[in-house]
Amino acid sequence: MRLAILGGLLVALIAPWFVKSDSTLAIAIYGFMAASLAVSFNLIFGFSGQLSMFHAASFGVSAYVVTILVTSYGWNFWLAIPCALALVVVLSLIVGTICFRFKLKEFYFAVVTLAFSEVLRLITLNWNSVTNGSLGITVVEKPALWTPWGTLTFSSGVSWYYVTLALLVVVFVICQRVLGSWIGQCLAAIRLNDQLGETLGIDVFKYKLLSFAIGSALAGLVGAFYGFYAGFVEPHYLSITLGLDIVAMVLLGGINSLIGPVIGALLLTALPHMIELSAELRIALYGAILIFVILVMPKGIMGLLSSRKNAA
Amino acid sequence: MTQLILGQLLNGIIVGSLYGIIALGVTLTFGLTGIVNFALGAFMMLGAYSTWYLYDVSHLPYPIAVIGAVAIVSAVGYVSDLTLFRFTRGNLVNGLLVSIGLISVFEALILAAFTTTPKDLTYVMPGAFHVAGLFLPKIKIMVCLVFLAIIFGTYLALTRTWLGRAAFAYAQNPEAAALMGIRTERLQTIVVVYSTALAGLGGGLYASMYSLEPTIGAAYILKAVEAAILAGVGSVIGALGGGIILGVSENIGSVFFPSAFRDAYGLVFLIAILLVRPSGLFGDKS
Amino acid sequence: MLLNIKNLTKRFGGLTAVSNVSFGIERGEIIGIFGPNGSGKTTTLSLIAGILKPTSGEIVWKGEVINALTPFEVAQQGLVKTFQNPQLFPELTVAEHMRIACHLHVKRALGLGRLKTLLGKGATGDLEKTLSKKIDQMLELCRLYKHRNDEAGALSYGGEKMLGVAMGMVCDPELLLLDEPASGLGHDEITNLDAVLRDLKTHGVTLCIIDHKVGFLGRLADRSIALHHGAVIASGTTAEVLANDAVVTAYLGKKHA
Repeated sequence: MRLAILGGLLVALIAPWFVKSDSTLAIAIYGFMAASLAVSFNLIFGFSGQLSMFHAASFGVSAYVVTILVTSYGWNFWLAIPCALALVVVLSLIVGTICFRFKLKEFYFAVVTLAFSEVLRLITLNWNSVTNGSLGITVVEKPALWTPWGTLTFSSGVSWYYVTLALLVVVFVICQRVLGSWIGQCLAAIRLNDQLGETLGIDVFKYKLLSFAIGSALAGLVGAFYGFYAGFVEPHYLSITLGLDIVAMVLLGGINSLIGPVIGALLLTALPHMIELSAELRIALYGAILIFVILVMPKGIMGLLSSRKNAA
Repeated sequence: MTQLILGQLLNGIIVGSLYGIIALGVTLTFGLTGIVNFALGAFMMLGAYSTWYLYDVSHLPYPIAVIGAVAIVSAVGYVSDLTLFRFTRGNLVNGLLVSIGLISVFEALILAAFTTTPKDLTYVMPGAFHVAGLFLPKIKIMVCLVFLAIIFGTYLALTRTWLGRAAFAYAQNPEAAALMGIRTERLQTIVVVYSTALAGLGGGLYASMYSLEPTIGAAYILKAVEAAILAGVGSVIGALGGGIILGVSENIGSVFFPSAFRDAYGLVFLIAILLVRPSGLFGDKS
Repeated sequence: MLLNIKNLTKRFGGLTAVSNVSFGIERGEIIGIFGPNGSGKTTTLSLIAGILKPTSGEIVWKGEVINALTPFEVAQQGLVKTFQNPQLFPELTVAEHMRIACHLHVKRALGLGRLKTLLGKGATGDLEKTLSKKIDQMLELCRLYKHRNDEAGALSYGGEKMLGVAMGMVCDPELLLLDEPASGLGHDEITNLDAVLRDLKTHGVTLCIIDHKVGFLGRLADRSIALHHGAVIASGTTAEVLANDAVVTAYLGKKHA
């Protein structure tokens, strides 16, 4: 498996040499960002067992904060990011503390995080003076990175390709390290039988909160970049539909691994472009895939592959 | 000022009864199949569009159009249960995800068939009563009365008829009910279909008051779920109560606070009730 | 005194499950708690473990009152409880169960050094190897070694209970609270359990065991108490308690004159 992942990474690194089409690059870029969202979401969902509907909100809030700091206050892009992440962490700590102190389980956790997410979206939609309401904010600036060899401006497709690929790698590695550490053992206990975990000395509340905060912060990291690539931020970034797209990606790829969400995200991002579909039917397709996966292959694509391996 | 508040109070009751009828479907489905069916909003939307189609395009009289719409929605509900919901019994998370997937499918199909151009049926019963300086559109009064009648009818059915009491028994203790010879699977399907019929009726009547777009279901199901959880999932009259509390709060709230907050009341109630009294205002503290 | 229970009472609404229970546990002994069904034995253990909060009374552990601690804090203090109905992690193997149970051990061994595990498996060097050895040692002790890589759900009922004991052991407890470890076990499994528990005592672990099986616990426990309707009706050496009239009556009914 390791080898396959490294192989895929290698292919991804050299692909822009062969693929020159801008639109294909754009698909890859959106795909990498979706994959980062899916991987960070799965830390909370697949590995800790908490169905969070707050992921899109973390993503959107961060996108807005970075955009506002840069466009309205002239901040440097790279300084704005930690600021946005700090806010996302604070928000997720508040929401998480409330939910986990009250021991909300599964479904009710999903509903309450959804409610908090909607509240944030409504604030974004209506706080016209700061967020420009439903019109959103257009972003013209492009981030620039100072290096000893000159300033790199991220404006071309190829530069964004590598930036988002790097982002995906960073998110992936962070999640992998967390899961490989003692935290991963605690999260497994929480996911499978938290009562047992408690009697074995695991502070269930603390680790649920930790996984929720880390996952949400990583979503925020993606959000920071997304607005600057897409060229605008809008309240829809915090919508329930985006949250559900992420769930669909993770379920499609497989909730029991970190690579599953990557596959699911890349597939679902590329799919509408491979089949000529109107916008409405694309949404119908997502819905149909979600239903299909839950009923027929709950462990996703990676689940199918690994059971094939076990059976062989 | 009192007139304004009174007017908003009435609006709140009317909107609240619409929330209530869908919340009733939510609560019945939860009690008997163990999932919260978010797709009921989409079924409401289907009911609204079917009514519009039958009335505007097929030129059937309005009441017949509504009945036809309920029949269509029930049929769709039956098929959905057979093919989808049957496999998610008792699994709240899967039920949530599947029902939301269904919403996307329904919305997209209606969108593709009828475009985003809002449909308008609001001329069905024009005119209003003028009572004590208040303007009460006839259609809204009628709708409210129909909803209240249905909800009380459902309550009576649950407590007086054999089927209703079987449903009650099942909700309390599924194994015992099955051992008593109650055809539990059939019961579950009946409840699912009835809930979709309720939502369809809600939609059909909604169509006479507001203009239609494929996305109307989403806002209403969230409100209905909020109302159901606020009341306590499992309580029939409570569903109506929850809906009205929500509707009235939203409308009266808009008098004193910016209307931007309208949608927030329900969310705040939801969070508060789940944290403080998860069994709901009218539910058992079990 | 390692654990001192003083006037422990637990009321659930109108029902008094545990009534003014007092007893002490010295380090190194095996304490038995006898009593028919509904006498408050499991409730007492749940109170000690922090799963339930007492209505009144004190739970004093090594001189400190621990009434307010959460279950995981109690475990961290060295007081570990097992479940009467075995609790497992679905789909995980026996070894994986044990690895998760190593949480406290790792925490105590490395402290903040655990953060190094975030730098990748290589950085912590021999951690996994040391843990593996400890796990194997414990599985041997509990006669579960041959099931090391089996799914825990595939174990026999007795095996599952033994796994619960093994997981408890790997938390390096000073006092192990065992809730009916022998219930549901067949004759051979009980002999096995007896041997394991005696081994644990030799290892330096203090045991507090609830059980129905008078024969099994009678042979094992040094001192005992007997509960009936939530109150202590006898305490002392196990032989004394089992000979006590009130205890016999509680279990078997009145003696015929």
